[in-house]
Amino acid sequence: MEAVLSVQNITKHYPGFALENISFSLAPKRIMGLIGKNGAGKSTTLKSILNMVSPEKGSVAMFQKNFYQHEKECKQRIGVVFGGIDFYPLKKLSAITAVTRKFYTNWDQVQYQKYVKRFALEEDKKFKELSNGMKVKYLLALALSHHAELLILDEPTSGLDPVSREELLHIFRQIVKTENCSILFSTHITSDLDRCTDDITYMQKGRVLQSADRDTFLRSFAHLKTPQDTGPLTLEEIMLRTERSAWDDDIIV
Amino acid sequence: MTTLLYKELRLAVHPSSLVFSFLGCLVLVPAYPYSAIFMFGCLATYTTFSNSREVNDAWYTAILPVTKGESVLAKCLLITGFQLFQLLFSVPFAFLRNTLNIANNPVGLDATAAWYGFGLILYAVFDLLFLTSFYKNGYQAGKSFILGAIPMALLMVAIEAAAYIPAFSWMDSCKPEDLIKQMPILAIGLVCYGVIGTLAYRTAAKRFEKVDL
Repeated sequence: MEAVLSVQNITKHYPGFALENISFSLAPKRIMGLIGKNGAGKSTTLKSILNMVSPEKGSVAMFQKNFYQHEKECKQRIGVVFGGIDFYPLKKLSAITAVTRKFYTNWDQVQYQKYVKRFALEEDKKFKELSNGMKVKYLLALALSHHAELLILDEPTSGLDPVSREELLHIFRQIVKTENCSILFSTHITSDLDRCTDDITYMQKGRVLQSADRDTFLRSFAHLKTPQDTGPLTLEEIMLRTERSAWDDDIIV
Repeated sequence: MTTLLYKELRLAVHPSSLVFSFLGCLVLVPAYPYSAIFMFGCLATYTTFSNSREVNDAWYTAILPVTKGESVLAKCLLITGFQLFQLLFSVPFAFLRNTLNIANNPVGLDATAAWYGFGLILYAVFDLLFLTSFYKNGYQAGKSFILGAIPMALLMVAIEAAAYIPAFSWMDSCKPEDLIKQMPILAIGLVCYGVIGTLAYRTAAKRFEKVDL
């Protein structure tokens, strides 16, 4: 099946940090978790995909089209959520929705009302009056109301309590099941991935360490197992042991 | 573009920018340095951009189906709208002033055709400096305002000073023969505003393409 998103060799240099040849792809109706510790380059990768950061090299194909050449067309078919950023904090949700809907040719007001009800959103509330979880839910409602086929979510679960996180992950699973939608979301919380991802891309120091479906991903880190490990390694153990070996490398250097 | 302008007016504009745009009516005040009206127009630009920054407007716009260039054009058209509205809004008040036989403004230049021409030139210079500076990084509204405010202040002083120079007294007159003499200044103002405004937009859009949000 053709990938909905294919990232090839994205490269971007900053003083003291660089994204080097980031490549991965996401198939339809799949959930991909983009993991890595803070500062690994997850957000910069997502911003490069969306042309918010101009990469020096590389390409992004979305729905089999070059994103940078068909930006507006592609953006009509995606939804983006940045966790932790307040948009128009003093504006009511109804005002933000009234503006947002005008940008999308296939805005579905019935679908929007359905999600408003399902997520228990109060449109008379100001954006800043929402909890972090409700903010993400509201932005998801906007994204799903124009029938986005790809959701790109940057740290959507950060700062949420375990119950709200679990609820959001449940929503992600339901979205992929009921809508024609794929999800790419970044996180540094490995337990999020245990619960809902089909594919995992692991970033370390601006590079992709591994990108594969969940089982292949887990198998590819089997070398990190010790004689004391009887079962398969968890994602948390994989991440901790990989980062620890990176610290050891740093000390040797 | 109309959708983007709708977004600007509904979500990004600070209410004070709208108030500043209505201050063209100050030309009715009998004694007042009317060039201060241009300063309010420049402040409207500053408050619009600083408010947009505070509400993360650039981020929200970046996830909408628009390009960076279009988002810059929308902001340029918005401030152009404010400035032209302000000047047009002042015109009936300038006529009313004559109808009411209010004496010549003792503080500085009257709201003559020359004054409008100079105002357009002032706005063109301010917009060029402000927009091209702001879109270098997309967040330094204060620094950009100061950069634009220096020539703005100098031009304001020059405009007001014209009223005190006898050789330029025709610029301060609303007599039909003097108004005709002032028309070339108004025409030059309009041309400057159009040409420099276009240059400001193009440079700003080019710079913003390279900005990493």
